[in-house]
This record gives sequence, structure tokens and C-alpha cells, in this order.
Amino acid sequence: MTLAHPVDLPAAEADLADAVGAWLRENLPPDWLAAVDAGDHAAVERIRADPGRRAAWFDVLGASGLATPTWPWGQGGLGLTADRASIVTEQLVRYRAERPNQDFVGLTLAGPTILEWGTDEQKAARLPALARGRELWCQLFSEPGAGSDLAALSTRAVQREDSSWLVNGQKVWNSYAHLADFGLLMARTDPAAPKHRGITYFLLDMRTPGVEPRPLKQMTGNAEFNETFLTDVVVPDSARLGPVNQGWAVAITTLMQERNGLSGRPVVGQGESDRLVGRALTTGAWRDPLLRDRLVSAFVEERALQMTTIRGFVAAGSGAPTAEGSIRKLAHATLSEKLGVLGTELEPDGAVAWDAGERPVAVDAFLAMKTYSIAGGTSEIQRNIISERVLGMPKDPDPERHKPFQERSRG
Amino acid sequence: MYAEQRDPEFGWTGEHRQLRETVRGLLAERAPVSRSRELAEVGERYDPALYAALAEQVGLQGLALPERFGGYGGTLLDLAIVVEEMGRVLHGGPFFPTVALAAPALMAAADEAACAEYLPRIADGTLTAALAVVEGSGVWSADDVSTTADIGGLLTGAKFPVLDGADADLLVLAARGPEGVSLYLVEPGTPGLRRAPMETLDGTRRMGRLTLDRTPARRIGTPGQGWAAVVQAREVASVLMAAEQVGAMAACVELTAEYAKTRRQFGRLIGSFQGVKHRLADMAVRLEMSRSAAYWAAWQDPGTDEFSFGAATARSFCSEAYLQTAQDTIQLHGGIGFTWEHDAHLYLRRARADMALLGTPTQVRAELETTVLAAAAELDSAVPAWPAIEVPA
Repeated sequence: MTLAHPVDLPAAEADLADAVGAWLRENLPPDWLAAVDAGDHAAVERIRADPGRRAAWFDVLGASGLATPTWPWGQGGLGLTADRASIVTEQLVRYRAERPNQDFVGLTLAGPTILEWGTDEQKAARLPALARGRELWCQLFSEPGAGSDLAALSTRAVQREDSSWLVNGQKVWNSYAHLADFGLLMARTDPAAPKHRGITYFLLDMRTPGVEPRPLKQMTGNAEFNETFLTDVVVPDSARLGPVNQGWAVAITTLMQERNGLSGRPVVGQGESDRLVGRALTTGAWRDPLLRDRLVSAFVEERALQMTTIRGFVAAGSGAPTAEGSIRKLAHATLSEKLGVLGTELEPDGAVAWDAGERPVAVDAFLAMKTYSIAGGTSEIQRNIISERVLGMPKDPDPERHKPFQERSRG
Repeated sequence: MYAEQRDPEFGWTGEHRQLRETVRGLLAERAPVSRSRELAEVGERYDPALYAALAEQVGLQGLALPERFGGYGGTLLDLAIVVEEMGRVLHGGPFFPTVALAAPALMAAADEAACAEYLPRIADGTLTAALAVVEGSGVWSADDVSTTADIGGLLTGAKFPVLDGADADLLVLAARGPEGVSLYLVEPGTPGLRRAPMETLDGTRRMGRLTLDRTPARRIGTPGQGWAAVVQAREVASVLMAAEQVGAMAACVELTAEYAKTRRQFGRLIGSFQGVKHRLADMAVRLEMSRSAAYWAAWQDPGTDEFSFGAATARSFCSEAYLQTAQDTIQLHGGIGFTWEHDAHLYLRRARADMALLGTPTQVRAELETTVLAAAAELDSAVPAWPAIEVPA
């Protein structure tokens, strides 16, 4: 069975959820459905871990449009609003039928950017594959010299006589780049123009010779990211997304994809602080009234953040993120550090030493706690955005904003 | 006890916006913050003509009271919008003690006769009231109630500080009788009642000390069930005070942002310095989180677990956020913010005084421990990562 045309989808929330649920019951493999009904977590994960079975399911799911419900009808989606798409996603999550986190770049960033800027050929080539989960995507934006000041990127793309591009440079913080089929790439194509006006955007085939992702070991000791070296990489002009030297405008589309219906509706409920309270009960730290107060404070703060997320979700009628998103991001970053430190204090020895193989979870949370205050725009950048766009403070001066890129100072 | 909330969470309606504009306009005209300051400086309790106008022209005192008691049957959310606007201008006087504390206590006691006698007069603005619970310890706990009621209903003890206690037309008191803690009503002029105004940190709200010496009182509600009514009233007042604090915080943020956009030093607007911008951004974060917490709570129905939880969350978060915001307001104003003439200290005084009313944030968090433990216990039992599926028949 295929799902009805979106205009036939039930209008009421509950009915839409039922329709999606019914479709899933009809289309999920019987053993998958049985495992979900039985609450057999491990069995479902075993099925999902099988590459063949996973691919087969994502193909069925993608064909229905349910994997990308906000995409337009006829282009792999159902044309749903973000609100209604969230209802779809909630049902997928209930049946553990949703696409995995590693598809974030493809589904959330690449798809919508291609929809807005792609040629008909690019859309036809990439969107169905994205919707059906056949391609893994990564992002190649940040560089060692272009972090908060992303537009200062210096990876160079020079057009050759046959109209193809020769790309040289280095990118960093690229999740899954070592596994990805495609990358969203920004490169400098006109160094004589001011930094925002000389950038072009490409859909890079990661199998092209000269593309070398190398794992980047983070302070946590893990290597979830890569740095990607680009050496004499030849990119056909057909891989260019949007006009030459207008890549920054294309990138804005990518960076603005926040609310997309690919996560469920936010709720007030269990969070990281609940887990810490559970741990405090186990270690006995709960008996300390000072730690108790800090735990309850964190609990209160986390719930207040959840309430803020709900409020943002209700308020944002359109898909466009707002400076209010920066408020939530900043609050989240602050809370994350608080919880990271607090977690270690609940351990009997402060989680500074452990028996071989007994590393407490608190250590990982502690070492990862700085993630959110840096990734996706540092807290300082968020504070600038809030101050400028919410409170109307003067914009931070950028003396090189209008200077040709090649004449700017380096450091 | 209040009308059921029908609109979805954070789904503001045109009526909500209209109510807000009406109240804001009226206060801007007749009770701006300069008026709150003036009343505080001369030691006036309130502006009786304005209080009457709030009742007669807009019906604010009775907005959320049931229609059978002379009210308009509105929701607690409506009332939250009203007190948020009052918080912006540091409105004091009998409104909050009467409408946010005493009236909820009367309703929670569910004494039909007392409600019928007093609530219509509260609604039409002719009666002000105060709720007297704490006795100097500041702790809202039944164990801390040592004012006694003897067999004949005579009260002996002391209550302080009581918001508007020295001036209100009706006192609702918690006292310990033979059956446990009950609520009692005492009218001014009753023998054995002494009322003395106290000096206050926050001049915009008056507080009093009540001394009772074999004072005749009328017991209301079920004997021995008074503390449950106090708990309910305190939750309502906590949500409303959180909303009031959101209004005050919003005023602080606006005041400070405006100053940073006009004050120049070193040839620049101070709002262009990151040291200033970033502190302002933190103020905005605190304000928005507080608004979410206060209004999430206001959107729940009183009497539910969600409401109790929301009230405690809002109380803990908003009162601390407001104090920090008031401190930052003075900081970013620099020297001018430290002067008597500037309004910043009025917001700071209110913020600190609020913390002591309705139980400190630390006490509220200690009370929340049970809820937090229950949430953590659920976490342990939630082994499957997704909810069990009900199979359709």
C-alpha cells in the first residue's frame, strides 16, 4: 500500500498519527513489528543493525514520503508543515522506524538546500537517494582558520578551461566524512571580492581522488569527527549548487535549517538531570544536602529549558529559526557544563580514578560537557546574536567585512 | 477552583493580547513605576481611586473568581497576564495580597458561606484581604504554625511579616486548633488583635506584624484541613508571583537595553562593548526561561500534579533569575544605577523581598525533592527506549 496523496491525509493530529501508525503496522517487516509490540529492544536493534535489512526498510519508508515529510509532494516528501511532520516522526520513533542520527546532514541540511537551490538534474539525482537512505552526507564548512568567522574560509576552488573546478584546502569538524558519499562544500572562488561574496557551494562526491578524511581525536579521547584534506580535487561544474560566488547565500539556507519536523514535538519530561539523581541515589551522594540542592536546581533548570523549547516550537509557525534559537542554545550549553561537573561530584571519588574497565559514565559526560558551548556557534557568538537581534545592540564591528579577501590580515 | 484551561499550552489568543494591552495601557496612564515610587516614598499604601477603577472599569479583582461569587470566571492564566503587567511597573498595594493570596485561600478552604460573603466584595473592589501564615521563620510548613485556637475559637500568637497585614480589611489566618491547622477569619477592630506596620526593604509592598491575644475568630472550611488550603493558595500565589517577576524582569531588560543604546563612553555606545552585550544576552536568556516556566505553570490546571510541579519550578527559577537580573540592571547602568533617583534599586529591593515571601527558593527545592525522586524512579523502570505499543483490535 502507498500512502494517500497529502491532501488526503487526515487533518486532525490524532487521526494523522493513527494513519501513520496504521501504515507502519502494514509495512514494517513482521518480526520487526512483533519485536516492537513485545517491547524487545534488543531484537529491534539487531534488525536495525543488519545493513541489508536496514537498507530495505529505508527504501520502503523513503518511497512513502514519511522519511522526509516536509519535502514537497512529487519531490520525495508529503508537503507537510513542520508541526504535522513532527507527528509523523513521533510515530516513526515509536516503532523505531526512523532514520538514524548519522543521516542528519543529508536529511536536515543537504535535502532542503538542494530543494531551494538545486537544478532539476541535481534534484532528480540526489533527492530520491536521500529520501530512501542510499547516501550518507557530511558537511565541509569549518576550517582551521575559519571557525566562528566561517566566511573567512580559504579552501580554494579555481575554474579550469573545461569548466570543472580544482579544489585545494583543509576542512575540519566533519562528522562521518570518512564514511560519507557526498559532502556539502564551501570554497573560495573569488579572492578579490570581500569574504562573503567570493564563495561558491558544491555538492562534493567524497570518492573523488584527492579527498582525504582523517579521524580527528577530540579531548574526550574519541574520534567522532574528521579533518578532511582536499588536494587537487577535480569537481565538475555540474556539482556546483547555486550561482558562482553566491555560495554564502546558499550556506545561509543550510545554516537556517533548524526546525524541520524531523524530531518529535518537545515535551516536559525525563532529562539528563533525572539520570544524575538516579546515580546520586546509587552512590549515596543524595544524602548530601548541598548536592541535593544543586541536583534539584539542575532539574528545575532543565525543565525550564524544556518549557522554553515547547514555547519556541509553538511560536515558530514557519520553519525559519530565530534568534530565540540562540537563547535556547546558550541555555543548553550552560546547563550542559553544570551537569557535566555535577555528575563527577556524585561519584564516590570524584570520578578521578577507577578500576580497569570500570570507567564511570560521568567521565564521558564531563569530558563532553564543552561540546554545546562550542559546536554550532560558540556561546560568545550566541550572546552576540541575542544582543544584536533580540535586544537591538549595535552589531559587532568587522573591519574586514568589505575588504577584498586576499587583502585581509591573517592569523 | 479556577476555570479550566482550554487553549493549548502557549497558544496565546486574541483575548489574551487584548487583556494585556488594556492592563498595560491603564497602568501606564495611572500607575507607572514613578507612581509606585511616589507611593513608597511617602508611605502611602495605595491609590484607592485606581483600585476602584481596576475593579469597576476592567474587573481585574474578580477576573478569575467564579461567576457565582461575583467574578468573571476567567482562568488563572488571565490573572497571570494581569500581574505580569503589574510587575513591570512594580505595582504594590492590596491587589496581590487580596487577589493572589487571600482569595485563593478562601476558595481553597471551600467554605461556601465565607466565599459568598467575602468574594463578591473582593471582586467589586470594596474589600481588601491578607493571608497570614508565617510566624517569623519565613518557612511555609504546618509544623511552623504555632498560633493557637482554643476550643472557643480564640486565637493567640503572632504572624509576621504579613503582606498588607497591617491594613487589609480582612485577615485570613492559619492557626492550630484542637483538630490541627485550620483557617480563620478576623476582621480589624476585633478585641485582642494588634496590627503594626513593619519597615520594609521593598517600599512598594507594605508588610505588617499581627499580634493576637485571645482574639475571637471565625473558623472556615473543614476543621483541621486548613493546611491543605494554604498549600493550594501558596501554589497559586507562586505562579502569579512568577508571572509578576517576569514582568519586572522584562522591564529591567528593556530599561538596560535602552540605556546601552544611548549611553556613550570611549566614543562608542556602551551596547557595542561585548562585556555589556554578553551580560545583556544572559539577562535575556534568564527572562525567556522564566517566562516559559511561569506560563507553563499558569497553563496547567490548579489541583493537578503538573500545576504543583509547575508552581515550584517557576518559584525556584524565576525568583533567583529576577534577583540576578536586578543586580545586572544596576551593574550595566554603572553609577547612575546606584542612585536613589534611578528605578533600578526599586527592582532590586522587590526581587530580594519576593524571595522571602512564599518560602525561599531553597525551601521550594527541598520540597521538590519528592517529585524529583519520583521522576528518577520512573527512569529506572523505563527499560525499553520507546513506549509499549497498544495493538489495535
